[in-house]
Amino acid sequence: MPGARGLVLGALCLLGALGRPLAGRREVSMHFNPGWNDSSVNLLHVQAVGANSTLHYVWSSLGVPAVLLLYTENEHSTLHINWTQLLSPELAGAIWVEPPSSVLHASAVVFTKLFEYDGANASDPAHALFYPPYDLATFSWDSVNQTLNRTALTAAFWGTGPPGTFRNGSIAFQVTAYEESSRDGHLPGLLHTANSSKLEFVMDGVAPRGNSSRFMLEMVMVEGPGRHRRLESVRSIDDEYTPTIFEMVQLVSEPQGTHAGPGFLQWKTTAYGAREAKRENGIRCRYSPLREVNGTLPGPSIAHAYFGKDLGGLAAINISFGGEDGEIYAGTGYLSWSMLLGFGTPPEDAFSPLVVAIMAVALGTPVVLLVAGAIVVLLLQKKRYSEYEPIN
Amino acid sequence: MCFLGFGSYFCYDNPAALQTQVQGDMKVNTAQFMSLYAWYSWPNVILCFFGGFLIDRVFGIRLGTIIFGTFVCVGQVIFALGALFNAFWLMDAGRFVFGIGGESLAVAQNTYAVSWFKGKELNLVFGLQLSMARIGSTVNMNIMGWVYSRVQDLLGSTGHTTLGLTLMIGGVTCVFSLTCALILAYLDKRAEKLLCKKQGKTGEVIKLTDVKDFSLSLWLIFIICVCYYAAVFPFIGLGKVFFIEKFKFSPQEASAINSIVYIISAPMSPVFGFLVDKLGKNIIWVLCAVLTTLASHIMLAFTFWNPWIAMCMLGVAYSLLACALWPMVAFVVPEHQLGTAYGFMQSIQNLGLAIISIAAGMILDSRGYLFLEVFFSACICLSLIAVVMLYFVNHLTGGDLNWSAKKREKLQKLAAAEAEEQEKLRRQNEDDLAKLRPKDHISLRNRYLSRLGAQLPANYYSHLSTLAHRSVLK
Repeated sequence: MPGARGLVLGALCLLGALGRPLAGRREVSMHFNPGWNDSSVNLLHVQAVGANSTLHYVWSSLGVPAVLLLYTENEHSTLHINWTQLLSPELAGAIWVEPPSSVLHASAVVFTKLFEYDGANASDPAHALFYPPYDLATFSWDSVNQTLNRTALTAAFWGTGPPGTFRNGSIAFQVTAYEESSRDGHLPGLLHTANSSKLEFVMDGVAPRGNSSRFMLEMVMVEGPGRHRRLESVRSIDDEYTPTIFEMVQLVSEPQGTHAGPGFLQWKTTAYGAREAKRENGIRCRYSPLREVNGTLPGPSIAHAYFGKDLGGLAAINISFGGEDGEIYAGTGYLSWSMLLGFGTPPEDAFSPLVVAIMAVALGTPVVLLVAGAIVVLLLQKKRYSEYEPIN
Repeated sequence: MCFLGFGSYFCYDNPAALQTQVQGDMKVNTAQFMSLYAWYSWPNVILCFFGGFLIDRVFGIRLGTIIFGTFVCVGQVIFALGALFNAFWLMDAGRFVFGIGGESLAVAQNTYAVSWFKGKELNLVFGLQLSMARIGSTVNMNIMGWVYSRVQDLLGSTGHTTLGLTLMIGGVTCVFSLTCALILAYLDKRAEKLLCKKQGKTGEVIKLTDVKDFSLSLWLIFIICVCYYAAVFPFIGLGKVFFIEKFKFSPQEASAINSIVYIISAPMSPVFGFLVDKLGKNIIWVLCAVLTTLASHIMLAFTFWNPWIAMCMLGVAYSLLACALWPMVAFVVPEHQLGTAYGFMQSIQNLGLAIISIAAGMILDSRGYLFLEVFFSACICLSLIAVVMLYFVNHLTGGDLNWSAKKREKLQKLAAAEAEEQEKLRRQNEDDLAKLRPKDHISLRNRYLSRLGAQLPANYYSHLSTLAHRSVLK
């Protein structure tokens, strides 16, 4: 019934307006080392201001590479950094937001280690032989100022391992900020909203220590207390934007008790083995289940700077790259994996209008033809019968 | 005779069984991978017309079979060498040579069957040949992956060399087929000497000018054939990775489900053939087959339901269509054009396959599997439109494609009786006319002499019946 449907639609719109923040446009500004002149430290502050809310992303390679995501329901909130405290060993509380009560959501993702394992007999990392891991805290990072692009809203943290390893190779965390909802042009065309940013993990020219080495990245989720996390794998029939990949993984973290929206991490289970990401250089990407980390987070990082002693339930996840032989990093020397980080409900893919149009036309035409033909046949038969005169 | 086609069918689907390995080792995208199938089809666009001619007039069945068997073998070897030397163009060339031999070998196989078994268990032989062909395809799907992993263990690494060696091992079946061809030629020659049997001929007459006489029904049948097969064979070619990625099957399972279409069609083809022969109503069967295939593609595209169901449906529909569609050509085309019609149908089927294979590869690379399945569904819908139009055209022009078998038999008997009567009338007319025709001088002289009572040689009695009872000539 159209009346009832209209009511339901209206109710949904209202709910949407009340409960979740609208993913409208945001104005993004990027600041490198705000209030500090020395470029030996890398800290990128991305501020996305929308209607009635502000998103602060703090990307940094101080200690271990990490990103801090803060959502405030005040469009005039500001981020403050106490640099002297930040660069000292006691960095708890060196980063804060004014006004502190406006922060609805705060979370951090810390990249701690890069593992390498020999996947010759079993590409599943659980049964493989591991080489000594690379600790990302020991890496040295180039200045982000050189790669900062304010028009394209991108920046890259390039780092090399401690001397003696990597042999001229480097890894990078490439950041892209978004002002509105749209779809990424490159594979894996992730659909993003204005409330999210893309992080791309790149390995370029890193020399593997074996012929069938595969790599694994460890991420640790840091949040305040009282949050409920779940790792879900969304299988969809639609692979139009990422050919042959049907699975999307999202790590959703919901606050318990408040009505603030969830935060999410979202990625497709694929990585690409060339700068020109194409379907044929896809590398299978697997993820381990979320595991709770007991104990403290190693190393100084901006997560400690913001959360201080407030580090509630840490959870770690390992992302491994490499499937069957031939589909591993060692074959190409380049690896790129993209992930979306944001606030709100994770975006969902939908059918493109072209698919819907083709199916409608393709299925509709035979039906129309059948009906038309039946009518024509009936008319002709009637005509034939009406030519006979009753013999009475 | 059955093993003659085994090697060709085994090696035809080698790319499908090894899709990931080919794409990984040769570093090609899907469009280039599908060109392996396209190159198989290109020579057959033209060769379909000349296969029968070459076997009948130029080579003879024995030499022809050996030549085509050699082409198949050499083609597969070139294909494997292309992989060994890491030259993809060489692999395409190998498939081209393989294609030249493959389809013509099938024609030769059928000719052998007719020559040896005509009038006896010919249907059984055709059925067995088809089953062997399907078994060849199935075996290929299921073991090539395993062979590859064994070779990989042997060599210790993947790469084009592993692929080349695997394909060489596959080529052994072609050598086996060639041996069968040689043995068959020897047996046939012996049979000719012992039984005074002439060399078999295809009996096909191809006249390309007949194409303009094809009726609308026939063109609609062509459209159905092209659109249907273009949505089945390229799908099987690309199916393995689809099942691995979307339904999370293991490679062995994916190969198995890919081969289920062939496994089902092996026993079901004779059953459906029998059914369609008994019941008739070909168009209805074709409609059912096309609808089932459409349902199966939609299920695979838009749901996560167990794909075994969809693939079994596809197998059944595929066998049903083959049994119902090809005989329809014989109903709409007069006998002297039959060779041309079938040749043309094969030719455009191969043309369609070649083009759609490459298109499918390109679509997969840029838009993914959902779009590819939608594309195949659209092809099937085109086929469905053609079936619907064929039904109406047939109905409105009073054609005989959709008669049940009983009706066709009845009408055939009626037609036969009528033809007999006509023949009798004609002969009578001729006789009457003969009596009224002015006689030539020899027959006049003979008549005069016979009236006189002279003895004439036996062959001069042209109207014995009228004089016999006079006991003059006894």
